[in-house]
Amino acid sequence: MTPETEEELAGIIKGADGPLRIEGGGTRPLGRSSNAARLSTARLRGITLYEPGALTLVAGAGTPLAEIAEALAAEDQRLAFEPMDHRGLLGTEGVPTLGGVVAANVSGPRRIQAGAARDFLLGVRFVDGQGRIIRNGGRVMKNVTGYDLVKLMAGSYGTLGVLTEVALKVLPAPRCTGVLRLEGLHDADAIDALCRALGSPYEVTGAAHLPPNEGGAPVTLIRLEGSEASVAYRAAEMQALLAGFGAFTLDTDPERCAADWAHVRDVAPFQGRAGDVWRLSVTPSHAPAIVADLPGTEAIYDWGGGLIWLLVPEGAGAGAPEIHAAVATRGGHAMRIRGDRSRAMFPPLAATVAALQDGLRRKFDPRGILNPGLMTPMETP
Amino acid sequence: MQMPEPNPAILSRKADLVARLRKVLPEGAVIDDVAETRAYECDALTAYKCPPMAVILPGSTEEVSRALAICHEMGVPVVPRGSGTSLAGGALPTADSVILGVARMAEVIETDYTNRVIRVQTGRTNLSVTGAVEEEGFFYAPDPSSQLACAIAGNIAMNSGGAHCLKYGVTTNNLLGVTLVQMDGTVMELGGAHLDAAGYDLLGLICGSEGQLGVVTEATLRILRKPEGARPVLIGFDSSEVAGACVSDIIKAGVLPVAIEFMDRPCIRACEAFAHAGYPDCEALLIVEVEGSDAEIDEQLGLIEAIARRHDPVELRQSRSAEESAAIWKGRKSAFGAMGQINDYMCLDGTIPISQLPHVLRRIGEMSKEYGLGVANVFHAGDGNMHPLILYDANKPGDLELCEEFGAEILKLCVEVGGCLTGEHGVGIEKRDLMAYQYGPDDLAAQMDVKDVFDPGWLLNPAKVFPLDASDARRIA
Amino acid sequence: MKTEFTAEQLADPKIARANEILRSCVHCGFCTATCPTYQVLGDELDSPRGRIYLIKDMLENDRDPDEKTVLHIDRCLSCLACMTTCPSGVHYMHLVDQAREYIEARYRRPLGDRALRWVLARILPYPGRFRLALLGAKIGRPFRGLMPDPRLRAMLDMAPKRIPPVSRNDDPQTFPAQGERRKRVALMTGCAQRALNTDINDATIRLLTRLGCEVVVAEGAGCCGALTHHMGKTAESHATAAKNITAWTREIDGEGLDAVVINTSGCGTTVKDYGHMFRSGPLADDAARVSAIAMDISELLMKLDVPEGADTGLVVAYHAACSLQHGQQIKTFPKDLLKRAGFRVVEPADSHLCCGSAGTYNLMQPAISKQLKDRKIRTLEAKTPDVIAAGNIGCMMQIGSGTTVPVMHTVELLDWATGGPKPPAMDQAGPRLPAMAADGNSGVPVLR
Repeated sequence: MTPETEEELAGIIKGADGPLRIEGGGTRPLGRSSNAARLSTARLRGITLYEPGALTLVAGAGTPLAEIAEALAAEDQRLAFEPMDHRGLLGTEGVPTLGGVVAANVSGPRRIQAGAARDFLLGVRFVDGQGRIIRNGGRVMKNVTGYDLVKLMAGSYGTLGVLTEVALKVLPAPRCTGVLRLEGLHDADAIDALCRALGSPYEVTGAAHLPPNEGGAPVTLIRLEGSEASVAYRAAEMQALLAGFGAFTLDTDPERCAADWAHVRDVAPFQGRAGDVWRLSVTPSHAPAIVADLPGTEAIYDWGGGLIWLLVPEGAGAGAPEIHAAVATRGGHAMRIRGDRSRAMFPPLAATVAALQDGLRRKFDPRGILNPGLMTPMETP
Repeated sequence: MQMPEPNPAILSRKADLVARLRKVLPEGAVIDDVAETRAYECDALTAYKCPPMAVILPGSTEEVSRALAICHEMGVPVVPRGSGTSLAGGALPTADSVILGVARMAEVIETDYTNRVIRVQTGRTNLSVTGAVEEEGFFYAPDPSSQLACAIAGNIAMNSGGAHCLKYGVTTNNLLGVTLVQMDGTVMELGGAHLDAAGYDLLGLICGSEGQLGVVTEATLRILRKPEGARPVLIGFDSSEVAGACVSDIIKAGVLPVAIEFMDRPCIRACEAFAHAGYPDCEALLIVEVEGSDAEIDEQLGLIEAIARRHDPVELRQSRSAEESAAIWKGRKSAFGAMGQINDYMCLDGTIPISQLPHVLRRIGEMSKEYGLGVANVFHAGDGNMHPLILYDANKPGDLELCEEFGAEILKLCVEVGGCLTGEHGVGIEKRDLMAYQYGPDDLAAQMDVKDVFDPGWLLNPAKVFPLDASDARRIA
Repeated sequence: MKTEFTAEQLADPKIARANEILRSCVHCGFCTATCPTYQVLGDELDSPRGRIYLIKDMLENDRDPDEKTVLHIDRCLSCLACMTTCPSGVHYMHLVDQAREYIEARYRRPLGDRALRWVLARILPYPGRFRLALLGAKIGRPFRGLMPDPRLRAMLDMAPKRIPPVSRNDDPQTFPAQGERRKRVALMTGCAQRALNTDINDATIRLLTRLGCEVVVAEGAGCCGALTHHMGKTAESHATAAKNITAWTREIDGEGLDAVVINTSGCGTTVKDYGHMFRSGPLADDAARVSAIAMDISELLMKLDVPEGADTGLVVAYHAACSLQHGQQIKTFPKDLLKRAGFRVVEPADSHLCCGSAGTYNLMQPAISKQLKDRKIRTLEAKTPDVIAAGNIGCMMQIGSGTTVPVMHTVELLDWATGGPKPPAMDQAGPRLPAMAADGNSGVPVLR
């Protein structure tokens, strides 16, 4: 089902007699699967407002991200949270949409400096499981009128409502990008270096550490963006600051830099390789110890260590219990992004928190028809 | 301003309630003497006051939990209070309510510079969070004007912003974790020193919920390394329209200043008389600040000045020293105090799209003549958050009501042009009755559904945010 | 804020002044952030905003003060940090002084309180009696544990180990300037300070005469009245203040005075307020003239040519007395002078917060005073200074009673740096500091 208007969508939901699977571009089948009827937002598309001087863009939830990126690029602006493109990692096709990015609170390496999708949302329109058309927020940055359901919708994976329209804050695209690169650091040293970099006044917009690929060496990457002069200055300061770890080299070629970070953003090293992929959100300085607790896995560190992508080959000793145990003692949580979709994939929740989630779902989707079971948490170990 | 009638059944049980609270709280933490509860009858919105039945000042999460459980059992409403600096009446009690003040919980629990977070008790003032980390060269970014005195608890409740939020975001963008105590005493941890939520973004929901979903006793906040330097530039114009266009052009040019502040003539004059910062006497003044190394600052200000010159400013002055920077900011920061020395005033807080600035200022000027009340405008131009100061005489009968009427018209105008009722101060009671102007019945119902989940008995700060008739059924159920 | 006084009430000039002050308060709450008692107690009622509210209620309703209102106002240190912070220019000092007067007139304190306050008012402003009392305290100290009232215990604790002999420098006389006479100034010798510490006046006289000042100790001058004024005993405070005004006016009209110089900042604030205190009486003009030339010693020194000194290598932690930084808004002069003289000046964190001395506060409110004292000493010692310098005897006694770091007056260091003798306090460490429990500020004192 692919409604063309918000009213049509509301009608479908009101009249639904069974579970619905909400879909934007279908590129991101996360969480437990189901055979419910497909409800697509693909036709709720189009940019309805774009004011570069106010850093504001409003578009239908079904608008392809590419269309938005193009419109923004024409004004030297961009979506600063650089959402991940899941297609490579999950082996899917389709066209990523704005609504999907918001529903899954997708972000990228720049989250450490700029924020995630939720930090750029100004307002939403959605249809909840009762068929109510609901508006929250607006189109201005400073808005504390009533409760912030915009944040609630972000990352709720369509289980509370179907997004129809999104208002976003956009930012200018910098003129220049520089990437500092060092090979050969062990995980612990790499994270140490990245923490130092992020604690400096030189505004780092990307901090990642990649495992070696096929006999190569691990690579530590730091991104700086701004004017040419600013990037050059900050890179030099950063090289001096981190000299104790080794000699970081600077690359300012725009295409190579963009490719480097797309590589990190889209978890390229794990694409096309067998095994489950987990996504861990942790306290950065604890990341190496967590990974060390999980032998046989391969790790990509992003967000200076705050995000760990873990490739868990079959037969490796690290299953859900081991991963949760490694994270539990140090704070954070783990989600299985790629793996058996018949089982729960979301992180376990404390009973009190789960109770609140269930309560919210009962309010917004009393019949339980929107992506039922998708966000079921894994068993608490 | 209508408030619900106090419940006589609750009032009659005051002695019992106080006795039970005294059993679970330390000596001196329960205040019920009528001479003393009076001091808690309002926050910074003094037009509305009502002494609470009692005041409790717990010193720990445990004490908060025990106290709330008792109030929950006895059906007593609870109004949380930080430093009582709210301009929206967020901490206004009803006669049958208990004020829960968090000022005795103000410790720093842990600072973690490696991971760039700090954990604090929420009674701590905003500025003293920065105070705790500034020696190491860090700061906590959201900086409301009241940051000297306002508490983190209040910042979280109202999702406070400040001049720096153009670049660094507001409280919800800098909040990573909380300890939340629900009305029935349940204590839970949400978030922590990691970035993503495990399920729904409950932190995002709690931030800005005006003390209606739970009492936050501890918080994990992001701290940032201070930039190498900062410098403001003063740009004066002979028209607000031109000033607004200049702001727009600066943003379009790809420069992202850390703050863009705007003042109009009445405000400029009052500030200059008070702070002697060297402001020109002109129609509109912008203070634009950028950060970085000296060279980076020079580069950015160079761009900004070039843009400004295209708009033919009457004054264009970069600060050349730390003293001058301090003086330029001192004027702006003393705006409310400076106006207060001249007049009583009511400070509004609406947001508008930047493109609507000239139109809105013009309309405010027209309404000012209609109502016969002067208005001085100061606001965060970078994000369109306006603070019109309506001047009136508190001791003149009828003036307050006139002022409020005028204020409501301005806020409605903000909504009409695509903005919203409140950008930083929150709804409280002040804008409660205008909520239906911005949101439809289903929109409000959805928000109230959330409260049903967290506080089914509607005991936490019940008479705020939602118009009384809209929330009637749920409050009284 | 909106006020509700009747026209009849406003006919009283004191109420009119109170109304002026109350109208200027917008209830914003900024003052709570820098109020020491709010930091310790976390209760709105123990903040300037809360006290203003209580006073407003009391005056508007022409009520007799109640026990709770008196309790909270008694807890005010009069440190005036709130006045420094207030963005609206509320003159809190005048309001709280008026409230104290009102309370003194209309509130019947418990017998013990009345007796204590009567005794303090009869002893502290009179150096002779005070010396005897200190001697008595020295003798009585071993029996401290038998004292039923914490305030009496506090008094015994405060008595210094060394009671100096009477200094003849404090007698009325004129000290000629060395070399060319540049200024003629009257030195206020005060009251309590004379009994506790004669080094300060000695150093002041030496330094000023060395810099070309003729220093006169005026006949008939004595206590400035601050102590009794802050108890609300305005009849007594006005009586002693009047004596000072008469004594100094005689000098002004006689040989002339360039300044009335005060080296106890707690007194300086009051002398500068004489113009306001006496505004509606026959002494109005004279009081205004005296206030106009009243100066803290650091202010006067800034007008003289204090020679620059070589680096002494001595680390001096400068303690900013409330009466100096908030009451008189003098924040940089003492530091500038010390730096110029060759000392390395450091400042403690939270330097705006009171040490808890506040006149007789450390005697009347020992629990709160102790918390503030411990905090202040902790922040001072964190800077590992060689000495601690302050511009007020009360602070010096308070801080000195809890640290081994030598505590002395700023003027003593400046005297030493410009040719005077080494300050005696340099060689006297304070009492051995007991291991301090990490009490933080979450503990709340047990209240009466």
